Amino acid sequence: MPRYAMVIDQRRCVACMACVVACKRENDVPAEYYRTRVVETVEGTFPKLRMELRSELCNHCDNPPCVYNCPTAASHKRKDGTVQVDRKKCVGCKACVAACPYDARYMHPEKGYADKCTFCTHRLLEGKEPACVATCIGKSRIFGDLDDPQSDVSKLLRQHDASVLLVEAGTHPRVYYIKKLSKAE
Amino acid sequence: METTVTGANLLTFPHLHIWDWRVVLYLFLGGLTAGLLVMSAIANLRKGKMDEKDRACCIKVPLLAPFILMVGMFFIWLDIERKLNVFWFYLTFQPLSPMSWGGWGLGAAIPLSLLYGLSVVPPELNDILRFDILKKLAARLNPYMRKLAVINFGMGIFIGIYTGVLLSAFVARPLWNSSILPILFLNSALSTGAALVILMARRTSVKLFFTKVDIWLIFAEIVLILLFFYGHYTSTAPQRNSIMPFFSFTSEYFLYGVSTLLIAILFPLALVFELIEGKEEHGEELSPSVVLRMKMSAYMVLVGGFILRFAFVYAGQLSKLTSVS
Repeated sequence: MPRYAMVIDQRRCVACMACVVACKRENDVPAEYYRTRVVETVEGTFPKLRMELRSELCNHCDNPPCVYNCPTAASHKRKDGTVQVDRKKCVGCKACVAACPYDARYMHPEKGYADKCTFCTHRLLEGKEPACVATCIGKSRIFGDLDDPQSDVSKLLRQHDASVLLVEAGTHPRVYYIKKLSKAE
Repeated sequence: METTVTGANLLTFPHLHIWDWRVVLYLFLGGLTAGLLVMSAIANLRKGKMDEKDRACCIKVPLLAPFILMVGMFFIWLDIERKLNVFWFYLTFQPLSPMSWGGWGLGAAIPLSLLYGLSVVPPELNDILRFDILKKLAARLNPYMRKLAVINFGMGIFIGIYTGVLLSAFVARPLWNSSILPILFLNSALSTGAALVILMARRTSVKLFFTKVDIWLIFAEIVLILLFFYGHYTSTAPQRNSIMPFFSFTSEYFLYGVSTLLIAILFPLALVFELIEGKEEHGEELSPSVVLRMKMSAYMVLVGGFILRFAFVYAGQLSKLTSVS
């Protein structure tokens, strides 16, 4: 069984928002709702400015507070490491939305269930990459199996000092971020 | 620093806003039920210290408790997005989910408190029950009143704590994520319960007994509120930031500033009023001014309990682990 993870190489992101559009199109995400987002942060005073571009999505945490807080087990952790929502079991209590430190969830406006990034499970079953990864023109989003030492994600994580978001939350995210050029010697 | 987010969901950006007045009412009425169950159990279990007539004041209280709980549960049901799916709560038990505990716990509390409510009705007063079947059931349950009172005492404590754990389990919301919160909500639940018993009781001795109980509860509540804010202020930056709305009167946080002000006035004032009642010598009949003070202090406790939950439910949704995204 694979252990899926995503690496986001922030050095390669150009904030084209293709991932946001591809995700909405692939997963039929309702208007004004999103499963992934791009955060642009500008620091400093002109002309000494610094910009950070960061894609954010569900972190498919190894220690997922959304799963622990779900009263009906609709939110669950699968053996492949992804966190999924069983729509028929979801009562729409919104506990998972409150529990997520990454604010990665929303409530489907018409159907009332909690929704979020699934790592495009339906595409994985067909042997394809998630839509946001396939469409990323800068190859900023890399997806793969952590248990396969030859996968791109494993190689990148070996070569770089990758970080995760909100490490203090103790959620052990499966989405890693690369900011620096390479591992310190 | 300037931040632009493309793809933000309105439900969570710029801050969470998923729960509203319906959840506030649910928590308040759930807490009130918890307080009523505990206080009526205390009244009915005080062997020898209260005579039958005194105990009679606590007949209506346990009868009222399950109905208040049902109204509270109706409000949480209104908040649920998929109302017809609530049966899923009862097809599984998730030990790490406070809401799962709540679903099962409240589901059990309603029949247990109904049975308790019937058991406290003595045969000579069962005219307050409208149907014969209820009168027969009350007569059959009456010998088990003490056992049911003990069970409902425990159930009241469980519900009071649950209303706080429901919020404190969210690591993502620094304001709620505190182990003091369940104790604060339990204390507030007991205090509001005692206040309602003071309002409902007819006999002077019962009013005075629960006034004395409420003095300790209000005192403990003030200490817990201060400890809660102190704990957050001396904690990490997200926790310190999370209490700031309570100390601000800017347009954005005005309601929270007013809430703090009201709590800071209502609880100490109620405490002072009750201390005066506790110290004064009273005859069999209370003077109108004493009754007025008692009622005022009880109403202040009830309003303060509601404001506390209102402020915590809304302000907790403003708080997050990071100030960016």
